[in-house]
Amino acid sequence: MPRSNKLHPFTILAIAVAVVTMTTAASQWWLSCAVIGLCFLITGWAGHTKKLALLSGAMLLPTFLSLLLIHGLIPRVPSPAVAQWGPLRVTVHGLEVALSLGLRTAVLVVVGLLCGLLIDKHQLVAAIDLSPVPPQVGYLLAATLFLLPQMTEKQRQIGEAQTLRNAGIGTGLTGWFQRVRLRAVPLVLTSMQDAQDRAVHLSARGFPATGVRTRLREVPDTSVQRGIRWAAVICAVLGPVMILAPTWFGIN
Amino acid sequence: MMDRNLSAQSTTVLGLDLHSYTYLHAQSSVLSDIRLEIQPGSLTVISGHSGSGKSTLGAVLAGLLPRYDMDQLVGSVSVNGTKVEFSDSLQPRVDIAQWSKHVGLLPQEAGHYLSGIRGTVSEELVFCLENQGMPREQMHQLVTALAQRLGLEHLLDRHPQQLSGGQERLVAMAALAISEPEVLVLDEPLAGLDKQATALVSQMINLLRAQGTALVVLADSVHFWSHEADALWSLEQGTLQRLSTVDQQHQAKTSKVERQPASDDSRVLLNMASVQLAYPGAARPAVQDLDLQVRAGQCLGLAGANGSGKTTVLKAMAGLLKPTTGTLDTVGQTGLLLQNSSDQLFERTVLREVSFGIPKKSPLRKRVPEVLAQLGLEHFGDTHPYELPASARRLVALATVLVREPQILLLDEPTEALDEAGETILQEVINSVLERGGAVVLSSHDEQFMQRTADRVHVMN
Repeated sequence: MPRSNKLHPFTILAIAVAVVTMTTAASQWWLSCAVIGLCFLITGWAGHTKKLALLSGAMLLPTFLSLLLIHGLIPRVPSPAVAQWGPLRVTVHGLEVALSLGLRTAVLVVVGLLCGLLIDKHQLVAAIDLSPVPPQVGYLLAATLFLLPQMTEKQRQIGEAQTLRNAGIGTGLTGWFQRVRLRAVPLVLTSMQDAQDRAVHLSARGFPATGVRTRLREVPDTSVQRGIRWAAVICAVLGPVMILAPTWFGIN
Repeated sequence: MMDRNLSAQSTTVLGLDLHSYTYLHAQSSVLSDIRLEIQPGSLTVISGHSGSGKSTLGAVLAGLLPRYDMDQLVGSVSVNGTKVEFSDSLQPRVDIAQWSKHVGLLPQEAGHYLSGIRGTVSEELVFCLENQGMPREQMHQLVTALAQRLGLEHLLDRHPQQLSGGQERLVAMAALAISEPEVLVLDEPLAGLDKQATALVSQMINLLRAQGTALVVLADSVHFWSHEADALWSLEQGTLQRLSTVDQQHQAKTSKVERQPASDDSRVLLNMASVQLAYPGAARPAVQDLDLQVRAGQCLGLAGANGSGKTTVLKAMAGLLKPTTGTLDTVGQTGLLLQNSSDQLFERTVLREVSFGIPKKSPLRKRVPEVLAQLGLEHFGDTHPYELPASARRLVALATVLVREPQILLLDEPTEALDEAGETILQEVINSVLERGGAVVLSSHDEQFMQRTADRVHVMN
């Protein structure tokens, strides 16, 4: 069992929301860096450092580059240049804006990915099922979470069948687009057929439950965790207000 | 729901008195004049060719049909002392969840019964109990007891999507049995299962019967069930007929196909030497050190348990998988019929389906009507493949392969979903490929078919 499974999924989510809202409101580079560093420490404890680094890198690198293009190369206010290549120049102010926005986005991405890596999908679905929300919510979330791997497998099967008939075997970008076009419709149709086939048996198995429902899976929870969740929710709502209020009233 | 209580002395747990059953927009009824009474602990086997209405009958017994305000059923169904009347003017809505507490249906595609959203087999088993709000401790006790009784302990912590076909069917049956319905309707429970899985399913059926659960088995042939069954029926033209001993013998009749054996000096069409096959990312190779040779006019059978690598070998022969070591040489084009026909069909009509991927000016286009006629599908050109019975759908998938005139015909579990007529057509197709100097490689769990068809059999370990 993963070490993070001792934590209730809602605890992780509540803390994550609080951290993201407060860090975004604070907009301090050192705080953003500290949060990102802490996330990597936690992911190291959970054993997912490489995955987090790869995923966040893949998402943040293009984000940083686009922010640099927008704010770094095209400054809105006059500012000394750090570097210049003909008509292009990177200014101090532009760089500051790009880094500030980039770091805030980085916090959102890294914290979000960390949640995805720490929370077990089945634990999350069970937690939702055991909460007072309608049973369809848990099923919808589960179906969405498990849809991607199922659809990947289906499109692989469709691809194999089409290859056998010499369809969609082109190379390069054109070949890729052709494959996407050829596989899209059968993929959607088979997925719909699959959903229709399952629906009647789900009804036969009493889904959605009309009365009280239970789960065999246990989702660990303690009064301490419940306390942390409440505190995190309060921080998520009041934290940004308290951080931003002095600015609104012109105290700083 | 209109109902009335039946006599308490009645021992029938499920009764059907059906005058007619008509699907929405259908011109004629699919089922008519059927009377069926199921006793506790009994085994009733209903055979019929593909499209005969077996699955419809199963769904009616399980309360999944008629669809409210759509199909029309005239007659009555009695479950556990409660009789539900259907007439032209009265089509009551059936509460499927309540009905399934008495009658459960295992569909032919057992995976469809599983929710697909649970992380372990244990959770999948108790899905319906969770929806009933049963306390966790009680569910634990039930799962443990059921797993012990049915020998499923080793599967309890497995992910349901990592089960083999046979294991998936066992788990689905156990999930049905856990809520202890009086009747279980099983649609083709042995299709595609290897010998070991067949034995396990059969053992589970005996255990359930011993507990008093009545079983209704829907199958293409009664052959496997004839010794155990309490009642054998045949569904023909929408009506049930009791099978006599002569009929049973007729259904069980098998004979080796007479064919000129291929000569030893005929051309080698397929050669595999020390081949190792592995899927990307897999820890271990799926197949190791495989040596095979197939000559023109030869039919080679691949046998072996589920997961022994038969499909992998066929895929490699078709060029979908490259050997990691060893050599694989083929002469001429290969054509592969995949195990699951649904994976091979994409178009909205049979004609478009068979023509899919063939260039418009290709002479192969002219073969399309010819192949459809060869497989008896000439009248279904404008039909959607999914609207066809399973056997005809399988033949459409075969047509998509045959239209390209493959020199080496590769068939993965070709008899699965095929009825008797379909199997005869398949046999003719195999013979025609061999007679024109081609070769056939097929994998099958159907030992009789293998015995009748293959010149030699390679057993995969």
